[in-house]
Amino acid sequence: MIRTVLWVFGGLVLGGIIHIAVILALPVLTGGSVWAQVVEMGALNRPIVLPAAEAGQANPLRLDPELAYAVCQIDLRQGPGTVSGTLPQAFWSIAVYSHSGIALYSTTNRDGIGQNLELGIFNQVQTRLLAEQKLNVAEGLLIVESRDDDVYVVVRLHPEQQVMRARYEAQLRALRCGNIPA
Amino acid sequence: MRFVTNLLLAIGVALAFGFGLSWFAVTDGRYFGVTQIGPWSTWRDAGSPQPDPYSRAYIARTAALQLGASEGLQFTATVDSEGRALTRSCRYRIDGTTPTATFWTLTAVDATGALITRPDGPKAFNSTRIARANDGSMELYVSRTLAPRNWLEITGEGSFVLALNLYDTSSLGGVGSTALTLPSIIREACA
Repeated sequence: MIRTVLWVFGGLVLGGIIHIAVILALPVLTGGSVWAQVVEMGALNRPIVLPAAEAGQANPLRLDPELAYAVCQIDLRQGPGTVSGTLPQAFWSIAVYSHSGIALYSTTNRDGIGQNLELGIFNQVQTRLLAEQKLNVAEGLLIVESRDDDVYVVVRLHPEQQVMRARYEAQLRALRCGNIPA
Repeated sequence: MRFVTNLLLAIGVALAFGFGLSWFAVTDGRYFGVTQIGPWSTWRDAGSPQPDPYSRAYIARTAALQLGASEGLQFTATVDSEGRALTRSCRYRIDGTTPTATFWTLTAVDATGALITRPDGPKAFNSTRIARANDGSMELYVSRTLAPRNWLEITGEGSFVLALNLYDTSSLGGVGSTALTLPSIIREACA
């Protein structure tokens, strides 16, 4: 009987190890699924406005139907990234995601940014060059450091009335997104 | 023979415990990365630049666009305030106050995240558009059948999920976060 209890205890310990392995392996095995969707959209260096979530239709990215979304993929190996443009006075926010879907940085226009979005995204090497003033960037650029070279940026915009959505989506489409020219 | 039996038992326990606990950790999430307030729960670390391993696993499993920490916070509810699963055959009253936020939205979705509202009706509640009483209080109804004041009409059969998105909120972000209150979900009548 005691021996059986010991075997069960051993099974629990092994189960704990399996649990830790599963939790650590899951992001590695499935962490790029949003990234794969962004790549499929053809969002490299250009903002793509996502279709609004509709009733009864699949909503894999779990989009809020009240918001308008634009997504843009940037490859920092080609140089520092940038997202810029003018957005309406309504609430908007921006988030920079890593390849595995982790929000590396986020902010909203309530943080004193106003209507003009000027965001620069730099990998660790580029950040060091920036600190050493070996990179020239525009003054007032909001600087984000990324530990990943593959990033995507999502801009969320809140049309207070749905009749404003088309105009707001046009403003999202007009954003500039890509690498800072050398 | 006994050795083999014990070995199989240990392997069975290990697999059931290891995978079962992992499934619980990334779905229900209580005791791992989820904060529970009444019927509402949130992965508070899901929008963090450096999430804990459980939140990382949750982000990977859901494959959704998580709100960044500065953008807001999403709470979801699969049960009412008495712990009964939300079902589309019942009418629910969402009653109470919401934490401070620039605005919030409330959506009803199925387990896959698809909206379950009437296709030609409102898709969600939005705090900037709801009707309030003179004292500022609000009553929201989610049901298939007609309801007074603020009504989100849902369709179909089976269980559903309510998602409350708080935008530009400091909730759970610092001192006093434990006193956070969220609205109750009260089951009123079932068909």
